[in-house]
Amino acid sequence: MNSVRRKILILTSVTVVMMLVIWFSFTIYNRQTQEQYNEILQRYLLLNEVNVASQQLITDLNLYLSTSDPDQYQKIDQIKDSLREKEADVWSLGYQENEFEIVNYVHLTDSLIETVDRSISLHLQEDTEAAANEFNDATRIANYISDTTLALVDKELKTYDSFYRHIIEQSVNINQLGVWLFLFLSFILIVLTYLIARSITRPIYQLTEAANQLSQGHFDTEVHVDSNDEMAFLAKTFNRMRLNINNLISEIQLKAQLEKELQESKLLLQESQLRSLQSQINPHFLFNTLNTISKKAYLEGSIETSDLLVDVAGLLRYNLKQLDRSVTLYDEVTVLRHYIDIQKALLTDRLQFTESIDFDLLGLDMPALTLQPIIENAVIHAIEPRESGGKIMFRVSDLEDHVLIEIEDDGPGMTEEKKIELIEGLLIPKEGHSTGIGFTNVIKRLRIFYGSNNLVTIDSQINRGTKVSLILPKQKGGTRNV
Amino acid sequence: MRKNVIAFIIFLFVILGYFTITSLARVVRSDWQEPLPINQADQKYRLVLITQDIDTPFWESVIEGAKEQAEKDQAMLEVLGNYGSNEEAFLQNLELAIHSKVDGIIIQGLDTDEFKELTKIKAAFYSIPIITIAIDVPMEESLRRTYVGSNHYESGVKLAEQLVEDMGEVGKVVLFYDQEQYFYQLERQAGIESVLKKYPEITIVPVETIDQKEDITSTTQDLLNQHPDVDGFIAIKSTIASGMVEEISRRRQVESLAIYTFDDHDDLEQLLIDGKLDAVIKQSPQEMGRLSVQLVIEWLNGETVPLDFDGYLTEIELVKATDFDE
Repeated sequence: MNSVRRKILILTSVTVVMMLVIWFSFTIYNRQTQEQYNEILQRYLLLNEVNVASQQLITDLNLYLSTSDPDQYQKIDQIKDSLREKEADVWSLGYQENEFEIVNYVHLTDSLIETVDRSISLHLQEDTEAAANEFNDATRIANYISDTTLALVDKELKTYDSFYRHIIEQSVNINQLGVWLFLFLSFILIVLTYLIARSITRPIYQLTEAANQLSQGHFDTEVHVDSNDEMAFLAKTFNRMRLNINNLISEIQLKAQLEKELQESKLLLQESQLRSLQSQINPHFLFNTLNTISKKAYLEGSIETSDLLVDVAGLLRYNLKQLDRSVTLYDEVTVLRHYIDIQKALLTDRLQFTESIDFDLLGLDMPALTLQPIIENAVIHAIEPRESGGKIMFRVSDLEDHVLIEIEDDGPGMTEEKKIELIEGLLIPKEGHSTGIGFTNVIKRLRIFYGSNNLVTIDSQINRGTKVSLILPKQKGGTRNV
Repeated sequence: MRKNVIAFIIFLFVILGYFTITSLARVVRSDWQEPLPINQADQKYRLVLITQDIDTPFWESVIEGAKEQAEKDQAMLEVLGNYGSNEEAFLQNLELAIHSKVDGIIIQGLDTDEFKELTKIKAAFYSIPIITIAIDVPMEESLRRTYVGSNHYESGVKLAEQLVEDMGEVGKVVLFYDQEQYFYQLERQAGIESVLKKYPEITIVPVETIDQKEDITSTTQDLLNQHPDVDGFIAIKSTIASGMVEEISRRRQVESLAIYTFDDHDDLEQLLIDGKLDAVIKQSPQEMGRLSVQLVIEWLNGETVPLDFDGYLTEIELVKATDFDE
């Protein structure tokens, strides 16, 4: 997965190899040209050497003829030898164009050596005049060698003319090639570098963009990187991280939701506690007063009034004391009867209350003041507005795991919207309830108490009455926080 | 936009690639060829043709013929020459050829002592055969193997006969010589004189001049002043003719005069066509070249030994002005 490094390595090595190849070929070419130059120069030098040697031979011969110095004789011998050696080299200079001159040249050298020899032998025979003649000849031959050297050089120039031009042209071409090659390779390298750089920076850019998106809180956009190297790996990791964060966030949100609900119920609880505290304004005084009045009414023979006062006092006590505790269904039914008694006293025969209770279920734990507010609701909405009064039915029946409590009236009923509002707890309770606790409050407390939502159903139709059903589990589920 | 950029990049790539490749092709393609080496095993005869008047049509033809024959016989033929009758350079060429030990020398004869000395002693010393061409020197003086060229005496006779035919048996004829009287000119003169002597009524006026244009002009002027009644002119050497004719035509009607010369020369042909010259002796230079090379090689191969000392004569032809009339 080292593809970024590999890309850079490949680019670098391609560049280096290219430069090496170019450097190598240019060096080889330069060497070739230099060798050719050297070869040509060698030719000129050789010709010049022969020429110089032949002139030297003449000079030495002249000295020898005038001085008869045996040292000089040795010198002449040496030069003759070197001339003969060079002759062989001169042959190698020959090609078809200059064959004639080359052969002439070699023969002239031969003639020169022969003439010099003759001159020396004549000198040794003391024939001075003939020796001088031969010397003159030798001088002329040496001059011819000079001339022929020039002619040969001239021929060389002519023969190699096209070659020289070729070399010049070639060097111009090489220069041009250099420029074009430079442009071409630069171009390729630029394009290649750009492509490779982009293949590295583009994913980085995309990652940066994605990181930006994340930092701005957009956790839903997927990170997309079109690459096959480390960047793609990074992008995948990044994507996974994004998904994880997303999950975490939704978890946190869920928790926060729960927290909020919990907070709400706490508030609700505190509210009711406050209410209850507010209501406990010297309750003993109130109960004692009510009891005293009840006794006085009993003593005065008004038994009904006395009972009524006992009911009111019971209801009040229950109302004030039991709110923060779970009670049994029995307690609830008792307080319910107190309340009904009070209402019967108020409404006389307009209220017809029937109850059917499975007494085995009276031990059921439930929050206090659950049933009274519902009954009161029924009384307020179904009985009070009607002159003829109405019926309220209260039933407690067994549903194996659950206990079904039904409160049914034959009042005017309610609309569907109102029913939903009631269940959802959107309806603000009006003042007027004796306990100060509304239907909504009941539902909320039930939910918290049982840790379950679907406990209350309202069945209602306009002009047909309303039936509120509580389905309470026998075994309390969920946790009770209070 | 992106498409355009990609197209531009591809375009640039193709252009640069094209120029780089063509440039590379130019560098790689090498049309230089090393000169071919000589084949030392196959030593051919090395012959030299030496002349003093290189670049004249006459010698061009000689060289052409010689080269053709040399090629046929696979001999190496080198032409050494100089311009404007430079005797010294000419002799140097000869000496150089001798010292270079060539196999054979074909040379324009020169009637001087130095020339004879070189051919007689030096060439003989190296035993190099010498053939004179076009212009001869006496065999005894030069030890030449043979002579290839025209019979100058015969051409003099031919020209003189034509003169007599044209002019009649009475008249005054001017003979223009080169100041330096070479052997071949003497031969021509002798030929002319041998004919004209037969006609006592014809007088010969010999005139000497140097082969330079000013001299020819002034000499011609003097001549016309002294002898206004000349009937015929013969220029012994062709190079004199054009100057002479030019000068005469300034003074007189050339057509009425009988004017003759030897050798064909570029400007002479036009003079013939114009009728200013009456006749010219035409030699066979190409044949001379060809034959001389052939003879040298025959001698070297030992096929024809010895060569005919009297020489091998090539054809001469009289070209008359009337030949161009048609």
